[in-house]
Amino acid sequence: MKYLLPIAVSLLLLFNLPAIGQSKGGLQAPIKFGTATIIFNNTVNHQPLVLIDSTYTNTFGEQYSLSKFKYYISGIRLFNAQKKWVVKQAYYLINQSIDSSLQLNIALQENSYDSIAFLLGVDSSRNTSGAQRGALDPLNDMFWTWQSGYIMQKLEGSSPQSSIVNNKIEYHIGGYSGVNSVLQQVVLPFSSNNLLVIKRGSNSIININAEINRFWSGVVDVKIKDTPVCSAPGLIAKQMAANFSKLFTVSSVVNNQ
Amino acid sequence: MKINITLFLLLIIILLSAFINRLQTWQPHYLKLVIPKGWPKPAKDIFAINPLTEEGFQLGRKLFYDGKLSKDGSIACASCHQQFAAFTSFDHDFSHGFNNSFTTRNAPGLFNLAWMPALHWDGGINHIEVQPLAPLTAPNEMAESLENVLKKITADTGYKRLFKAAFGDAGISSQRMLKALAQFTGSIQSYNTRYDKVKRGEATFTISEQYGYNVFKANCNTCHAEPLFTDNSFRNNGLSLHPTLMDMGRMKVTGRPEDSLKFKVPSLRNVALTAPYMHDGRLYTLSQVVEHYRNKINNNQPTIDSLLKNKISISNQEKVDLLSFLYTLTDQEMLHDKRYSAPQIDAGILPKHLH
Repeated sequence: MKYLLPIAVSLLLLFNLPAIGQSKGGLQAPIKFGTATIIFNNTVNHQPLVLIDSTYTNTFGEQYSLSKFKYYISGIRLFNAQKKWVVKQAYYLINQSIDSSLQLNIALQENSYDSIAFLLGVDSSRNTSGAQRGALDPLNDMFWTWQSGYIMQKLEGSSPQSSIVNNKIEYHIGGYSGVNSVLQQVVLPFSSNNLLVIKRGSNSIININAEINRFWSGVVDVKIKDTPVCSAPGLIAKQMAANFSKLFTVSSVVNNQ
Repeated sequence: MKINITLFLLLIIILLSAFINRLQTWQPHYLKLVIPKGWPKPAKDIFAINPLTEEGFQLGRKLFYDGKLSKDGSIACASCHQQFAAFTSFDHDFSHGFNNSFTTRNAPGLFNLAWMPALHWDGGINHIEVQPLAPLTAPNEMAESLENVLKKITADTGYKRLFKAAFGDAGISSQRMLKALAQFTGSIQSYNTRYDKVKRGEATFTISEQYGYNVFKANCNTCHAEPLFTDNSFRNNGLSLHPTLMDMGRMKVTGRPEDSLKFKVPSLRNVALTAPYMHDGRLYTLSQVVEHYRNKINNNQPTIDSLLKNKISISNQEKVDLLSFLYTLTDQEMLHDKRYSAPQIDAGILPKHLH
């Protein structure tokens, strides 16, 4: 009988060790968690963005159409007066051409929240840590090859006000370090009578509106006529990233779906 | 007795579980980057999240020598980074790219890359793993899209086995391809030159080499700092702006006027084999390089390096000695190390496209 215990211990070790090794990354205490879906509605003048086939007019009366509209979101956090909830770190590429990319699903603790925040772009550490995958895979065509770093926002299209070949407009906004950093923290409050309420076993929807016309005038006025292209880090990229951060508002929160 | 049986059973169980484990899990052969005695620590631990293994190295080696990475199949990494030229383009100021194009800068040697905080003449590349994206996609180099490269590699069944050996399953991704390439290029090391052997007490300099070493220490060592023979800084060494290339160097990356005409200080290891010299290969011999520093520095440029403002005064005799010292920086072992050679050469088959 004396050896029952050691055998039991070794059997336990034998069968449980691999499982212990694999259990990392699972949700702790899932019982207290609910989920939310963040939906990015990219619009121009309150109308859903249609790539290629629609012509729009910005606040300077300049006409444009877009063929690509993509941007990175990461570092999602939710707040209430007492508490900050940090969503498990992930990088999302919102791509108007891929419907499924416009919705993000997150898990968060049961609570009521009054605002959401996220980083617009990819933090500097991921810009300098070598080859990445998923949303950060260079296959997504959002990585500069001649000067390492992510393109945080990409808008391409055309405009009669652009003087360059084929009336192209092309904004590749990036730069992750020092004075050239285009990283923007976006904080969006929920309406006080429409807070986000997370309950175990239910899903809430956060509708975020991104109004594209602010890209040329959210903070600094940048006319297509003067700046049809931005394809390198620097002052213009910083200004346009600041403008980009003003695209976002929360249009509604729908709880208990 | 009972204790003995217990111990015996325990031992059996432990051995059995270890055996089962071995059958089930992928166990690559881990390698370590050599950190030669007396060297500084590498600039970053390039293998920290890309563990260096024999299998990863061999996959990277095959990729490095594979023309599939280029648009028409004719250009491999090794086409412009030739082992016999210390992984530069031998005797070329610019390298040949797709469709009879030329690169716009001189191909740098690939060795001791773990000690380089940034790659390329302008430091535009911040990590060894993402470097290949530049030549792969540049229209005047390999001119291919990353997507097509992966398609071609996925279609080549020979790669499945190599990816599985390197990463545990046969999944092929851009990340794995880039990590494997980094394992190969990051493993190319130069630390067995005659200079190194003298430093280790295994050889001695000739009198001329010793005098040359003294000249070197007095005039060159600040920028071409031992033992890497570069301090990895960016400097304007007094070359006039190229009238057609208009290459502003580091300023292209930082956007700062004070970085105009600054380029990375290249290592002098294997310098006897890496002609022509400078970022655009404008100087054809080492003698011309010394002449440049003695007499031809353009010191009217606002960003000229302060150490070169007054040129470097070296006598003719010192120049001869300096050159004989520089020849001691050739690393025959690296140049002939079969592990760095084309996999086909190992099998006795010569590669098709090495020009």
